[in-house]
Amino acid sequence: MLKCTINGKQYAVPEGASIIEAFKLAGESLAHYCWHPALSVAGVCRMCMVSIEGNPRLQIACNTMVTEGMVISNQSHAVKDSVKWVLDFHLINHPLDCPICDQAGECGLQDQYMMFGKYTPEMAMPKQRKRKVVSLGDRVVLDSERCILCSRCVRFTEEITKTHELGIFHRGDRSEIGTFNDRPLNNNYSLNTVDICPVGALTSKKFRFRQRVWFLKEKKSICPGCCTGCNIKVSYNSKGVFRVKPDCNPDVNGYWMCDEGRDLCEKTQSVDRLLKGMSKYGEEKWQEGPALKFAKQACDDLSALPSSSVALVLTAQHTCEEFEALIQSFKSKFKSKKVYYWVNRPEDFHKFDGLLLRGDRNPNTVGLLQILEREGFKSTWSELLSDLSSGATQGVIVAAPEFPSFYPDFSEKLYELSRAKVLTCLTSRPIKDRELLPGQRWLIPLKSFLEKEGTFINYRGVQQKLGTPLELVPDAMTLSDFARILSGDWLERQVEPLGSQNVINEFMKTPMRGL
Amino acid sequence: MEVKLLSEHYHHDDFREISGYQKRGGYEALKMALKKKPQEIIDEVKNSGLRGRGGAGFPTGIKWGFLPKNGEPRYLLCNADEGEPGTFKDRVILERAPHQLIEGMIISAFAIGSHKSYIYIRGEYVKSRKILEKAIKEAYAQGFLGENILGSGFKHDLDVYSGAGAYICGEETALISSLEGKKGQPTLKPPFPAIEGYLQKPTIINNVESLASVTLISRIGSQAYRKYGTEKSPGTKLFSVSGNVCKPGTYEVPLGYPLMDLINVECGGLRTGRSLKAVIPGGSSAPVLTAEEAQKAFLTYESMAELKTMLGSGAVIVIDDSNCMVDLLHVLTHFYHHESCGQCTPCREGTGWLNKLCGTLMSGQGRLQDIELMDQVARNMMGRTICALSDAAAGPVISFVSKFRSEFEFFVREGRSKIKGGPHAQMHH
Repeated sequence: MLKCTINGKQYAVPEGASIIEAFKLAGESLAHYCWHPALSVAGVCRMCMVSIEGNPRLQIACNTMVTEGMVISNQSHAVKDSVKWVLDFHLINHPLDCPICDQAGECGLQDQYMMFGKYTPEMAMPKQRKRKVVSLGDRVVLDSERCILCSRCVRFTEEITKTHELGIFHRGDRSEIGTFNDRPLNNNYSLNTVDICPVGALTSKKFRFRQRVWFLKEKKSICPGCCTGCNIKVSYNSKGVFRVKPDCNPDVNGYWMCDEGRDLCEKTQSVDRLLKGMSKYGEEKWQEGPALKFAKQACDDLSALPSSSVALVLTAQHTCEEFEALIQSFKSKFKSKKVYYWVNRPEDFHKFDGLLLRGDRNPNTVGLLQILEREGFKSTWSELLSDLSSGATQGVIVAAPEFPSFYPDFSEKLYELSRAKVLTCLTSRPIKDRELLPGQRWLIPLKSFLEKEGTFINYRGVQQKLGTPLELVPDAMTLSDFARILSGDWLERQVEPLGSQNVINEFMKTPMRGL
Repeated sequence: MEVKLLSEHYHHDDFREISGYQKRGGYEALKMALKKKPQEIIDEVKNSGLRGRGGAGFPTGIKWGFLPKNGEPRYLLCNADEGEPGTFKDRVILERAPHQLIEGMIISAFAIGSHKSYIYIRGEYVKSRKILEKAIKEAYAQGFLGENILGSGFKHDLDVYSGAGAYICGEETALISSLEGKKGQPTLKPPFPAIEGYLQKPTIINNVESLASVTLISRIGSQAYRKYGTEKSPGTKLFSVSGNVCKPGTYEVPLGYPLMDLINVECGGLRTGRSLKAVIPGGSSAPVLTAEEAQKAFLTYESMAELKTMLGSGAVIVIDDSNCMVDLLHVLTHFYHHESCGQCTPCREGTGWLNKLCGTLMSGQGRLQDIELMDQVARNMMGRTICALSDAAAGPVISFVSKFRSEFEFFVREGRSKIKGGPHAQMHH
């Protein structure tokens, strides 16, 4: 450890730390644009200037290493004046129209601009004009005039994805970020460039101009898209989920997440969801009804069967707590050992894109297998099928995957299972081919990962909590809720109509800024 | 008085061919050098006190000493990206005495233990490149390059790489980036090229004239070389004089020679009826000297430093009273705006800002506070960037504005140049 003094206070920082890292460790604020902890040092934005005792020239904190006994400050007049000038250089060609910029409210440049009160442009001459709306790929749009050429996005494609789509073209104040003619920015991590862009230059095609960030709340969660379990921050408000960003976790995903993962979270919105319970007896039409009532009736139907003829089918897209509750209540209710699981494309399980995305597209395979092993369930799928044919199994409870798109054989499997007399399918999605399902059927709406608490265990055994739940589909339940109904505890829960969700109430109570 | 050590035979047209070069003692220094120990050559160059002729004036021998002392592969690069406005002395060497450079490079490479070197030549120097390439072929044919040079067991290969016309590529690390096939942009130091340069290997980059001078020093010895020049600036140097003199051109004079003598004696003075207004002594990046200061200036690194300017690459730009300083500065700000690589914010934005400010003055729309602002902008560009281009762009602005303020103020007040006959600088780059 090295001792150093930052703004008059003593700190000890590890050997090899740069000054900017020391500032971060010390919790001292230091404006910077080009430096990013996961990228190489560029040293070009020049905002992180500090004065070092004994050094006549100001140094940039990102490219200067801390030495023993170093006395560093960014509070002196000289530093503040220099930073003000660097800010001027940043701003002379930058549009000063923050209110119409998508980054407003979370922009590093805006923060400094407000702090220094640079409301009037220093340069009287016309600004450098550049391209305003440049599509860099399927997901990312560039506004060159807002770009401060910090090169974070370029370094990201060079150092992290190693796909090299982006480059800085031209020279001097004509410099612009761009792609090479035939190589758009279409890698599966492209939206990370939007996250690391310190200004409003790179924006997401899906998110841009859809919401002001100050009307968004943030919730931490775990991405359910694969067994890596990236930590995420979900931005939402009463109108729904708008944006998903990675939440830094050095042990799991670092600073990044893949674009596919972001898309999944949008599929939790009500348009893609099963909103109510559904049921059908024999050849009747499907009927819609309250989930709780239907769940209770489904449990009654199952209980009417011989108790050893009921089977439970699980998929690895639910939390450990849910598996635990459902299995316990299934065991005590039916005295049956017929617990099965089915996974998507096991042949892909060991695929890895080299960065984050893994072939096992279930967030909790490890968790499910641990519980099944502990309980000693070893039944195979073929046993289930032969039991269904022979009539040894007459009732089936299926905890369907939250993202059936990862289960190419989903409809086929469900059809196989529908040979059972009573089929209760717990699912968060509407079932496409539900007309095909013969016999006595129940569809019970499940909560998505954003709406429940619980634990996922990732591919290398890291247990991660899902965080505080949102409420998107009020009628939906978790597997644990269903387990309680199954074991006879009627869930006394007041179901509120869609319009009066907690989220909305809370949001409406908060006074708007400036009013 | 002109002393032709380096340029002794430059007036012979066949000096650029290997036969003519060898007839006049060419490659003899190499033969002697290959019999010595590398350290002896390094010591000889150190003792000569040769200072880098590219502009910074860093002692060549000491630069070589920064290389790690191990067997790691290393590169020697010759910086022939002569782009500083006003400088054209390397071109003379490249076109009149390519073998002198090649010989110097082989000796230097032998001294530092490099087996591969490149000459990074300015993109616009097409003719020079052709001459150089022919000379390299000749040197290979004669066994001065390639495997087992002159039976010494030393092996060396030399290639020419043409730049694409960017001024910034004359900066060491930008030159390396460009040579590696990347965009020519300077990189952060440390690591310094001597530790981690071309292809992440230790690399020495020397100017054309420095390397040609190694040939000279190897031939006549450091003692004889030190007879010329001053204690701190030994030897002779090529000066390219341009602007309002009767005989512009490249002249070799011993360091320590008075600046005014170079202008009045070698270059035949100013045109009749004209008086001296200013001199830029070391290429466009060097702060300008007034006529008064020029009288006191000697052509040494230390004398120029005393006058708060630089000897730089030895490009003397002579400005007489027919020139408008505002117009001249606009030419310079335009140049730096065009050439800034755009990496560091103060330089990228500052060079453009200065150019716009200067352009506003030129258009007659300037305000008095714009003059002050130019000075402020320039001062805040200095020492804030990865490389020295920002300082180079700021230096002339600060010196022009402070030393010729009345001309700038006149332009603001009257909306036109103080100099009758309109502003037309005699500068080209």
